[in-house]
Amino acid sequence: MSTRFFEQQDSARGQTTRLILLFSLAVAAIVIALAAIGYGVGAASVESSARSLGGNSAADAGVRPWLFAFLFGAGALAVIGLGSLYQISQLRWGGGTRVAESVGGRQLAHHTSDPLERRLLNIVEEMAIASGTPVPPVYLMEEPGINAFAAGYLPGDAVVGVTRGAIENLSRDELQGVIAHEFSHIFNGDMRTNIRLIGILHGILLLSLIGHWLLRSMRYMHLGSNNKNNGGVIAALLMLGVVLLVLGSLGSFLGGLIKAAVSRQREYLADASAVQFTRNPTGISGALKRIGGAIFGGRLQHPNASMASHMYFAQGVFEGLSGLLATHPPLPKRILAIEPNWDGNYLAEAAESSLRAGASFSAAQPATGAARESRSARSSGADLAAAGLSGLAPTSRMRELDRQPRGGSAARAAAGVAPDRSAQYSVPEMMAAADQVGRRRRSIRTTPSGCWPNCPRA
Amino acid sequence: MYIALIVLGGLAGIGVLLFIYGVTIFNQLVTLRNRVDNAFAQIEVQLKRRHDLIPNLVEIAKGYMAHERDTLEAVIKARNAAVTGLQGAAGDPGDAQAMTAMMGAEKGLSGALGRLFALAEAYPDLKANQNMIQLTEELTSTENKISFARQGYNDSVTEYNTYKQTFPPVLVAGLTGHGQDRRHLEFDSAAIAEAPKVSFN
Repeated sequence: MSTRFFEQQDSARGQTTRLILLFSLAVAAIVIALAAIGYGVGAASVESSARSLGGNSAADAGVRPWLFAFLFGAGALAVIGLGSLYQISQLRWGGGTRVAESVGGRQLAHHTSDPLERRLLNIVEEMAIASGTPVPPVYLMEEPGINAFAAGYLPGDAVVGVTRGAIENLSRDELQGVIAHEFSHIFNGDMRTNIRLIGILHGILLLSLIGHWLLRSMRYMHLGSNNKNNGGVIAALLMLGVVLLVLGSLGSFLGGLIKAAVSRQREYLADASAVQFTRNPTGISGALKRIGGAIFGGRLQHPNASMASHMYFAQGVFEGLSGLLATHPPLPKRILAIEPNWDGNYLAEAAESSLRAGASFSAAQPATGAARESRSARSSGADLAAAGLSGLAPTSRMRELDRQPRGGSAARAAAGVAPDRSAQYSVPEMMAAADQVGRRRRSIRTTPSGCWPNCPRA
Repeated sequence: MYIALIVLGGLAGIGVLLFIYGVTIFNQLVTLRNRVDNAFAQIEVQLKRRHDLIPNLVEIAKGYMAHERDTLEAVIKARNAAVTGLQGAAGDPGDAQAMTAMMGAEKGLSGALGRLFALAEAYPDLKANQNMIQLTEELTSTENKISFARQGYNDSVTEYNTYKQTFPPVLVAGLTGHGQDRRHLEFDSAAIAEAPKVSFN
């Protein structure tokens, strides 16, 4: 077991620190720029009053520009500060529970008897032990996409939300990887960081709103006043309005870029931590591959989904093509970070779920690393190879096939259920995906496909 | 006269400082040891749950695999041994011998369970049984929790052992009953080493 995941965590943490520093610098630059404008306005007002009174009557000539600079700087700081405090308290309010409910989550009861829900709750408890955090409430979203999120400001009010697509299509190990990833967000306080950044961005945006408002009101003021003496002040105020508008918009745009970059680093950190918590890189990478190969991917359909975009396991809502504003790194990059030797193939949908059709007991063993991996090979190898193909088929058809006595992969492949999506996946591609599943489960090559589960035993 | 007083005072001062330092070390030792005990208690909870689940499992399996009586009995026997082992170790987690006995019993139980599950692969009806599916999931989860809790336990043991072996805590540890190192838990290393047996005939 390599300890590369610790290095990756350190690197992600270092990147975050640098980005946060950059973000603070941007805020400081805005405040300083406004203070400079204040200085200019102060100087202009000294000049104009000097002109109107004819003589150097302004006793505070030396001090006034600095006073204005201070007032403008402090004003900007206050606007940003209050704006962000307001936004933070808005986002904090109700903790993770409110977020989970607003995206259509339903809290799972501890005594649920539904096998899939039971498994999910068990996995959450396992990860709570592994990460040393309290067990959070778990919410289920009725969405076909494969995704999950952690929400809440502090570990104490955090919740974990998972989509129906995730619990149905991921294997136990993969789901464990996903949940471990979410626990890393809770453990590292990523939701708090994000909410703070969103809050400060909101404060900066408020500056541009004030600028906008100033320019609008200036129009009327300008019409009404014919006083020449105020000309300088009005010009200064006009300039202030423009500067506020420009700085505010530019600041919130650049800040948004930095926030997205922070968010992407936290995703790498969470992926690396998931490997640390589970000590099983194939779980999380398998989940990512499955999202890549799934019909719905990680997409979420709920109208409020974008509200919590930064907290999802995979990109949940569309966020521009450039990638600069994306809250998540692209899937291939994330997979390669975990599995440097990845061959570029995604896994097709629907892992062999022991809970859905024909139970496989292989998982009920002391579950550590190699042992777990090779054991699942024994039972579900042939079937998984088929799953590489079968997942592409319409689900109803597959369920039908699942109910029939198992004929192994040959029967399934022969059933010709795949062509629906052949536009996207050529047969060689599917074979490669299936083969990749097989390669990780070594014994498949020696298993006569088709005998499972009635293979003769010793 | 004065010099003697100053020297005495200085020595007393150093003595007091050393004592305070010693007390701090002692407190740290106690904190770390309690953390180890707590981590062990977490494992104990999960091991107990495992032991509680197994009779149910055997009860369900009995209905389907009557021919495998020997295997089922072996599981129950291993389970009872593990219960005894756990009681012994829980009584005094510092006792290396009790710990070794417990690890041996758990290892035996893992082995017996492994054989049972290997056999169960040949009974499709058993595998389709809803209760069996549920129990399997619970057992899987419990096994995982045990291994994660063990990770935590071993981490705390490492921290405790490292602290008490370093200087100067090593001086205090010997005097205050922290002489013995805690043991790491390794009960399923055998299960890892054991390759899955697949044969075709």
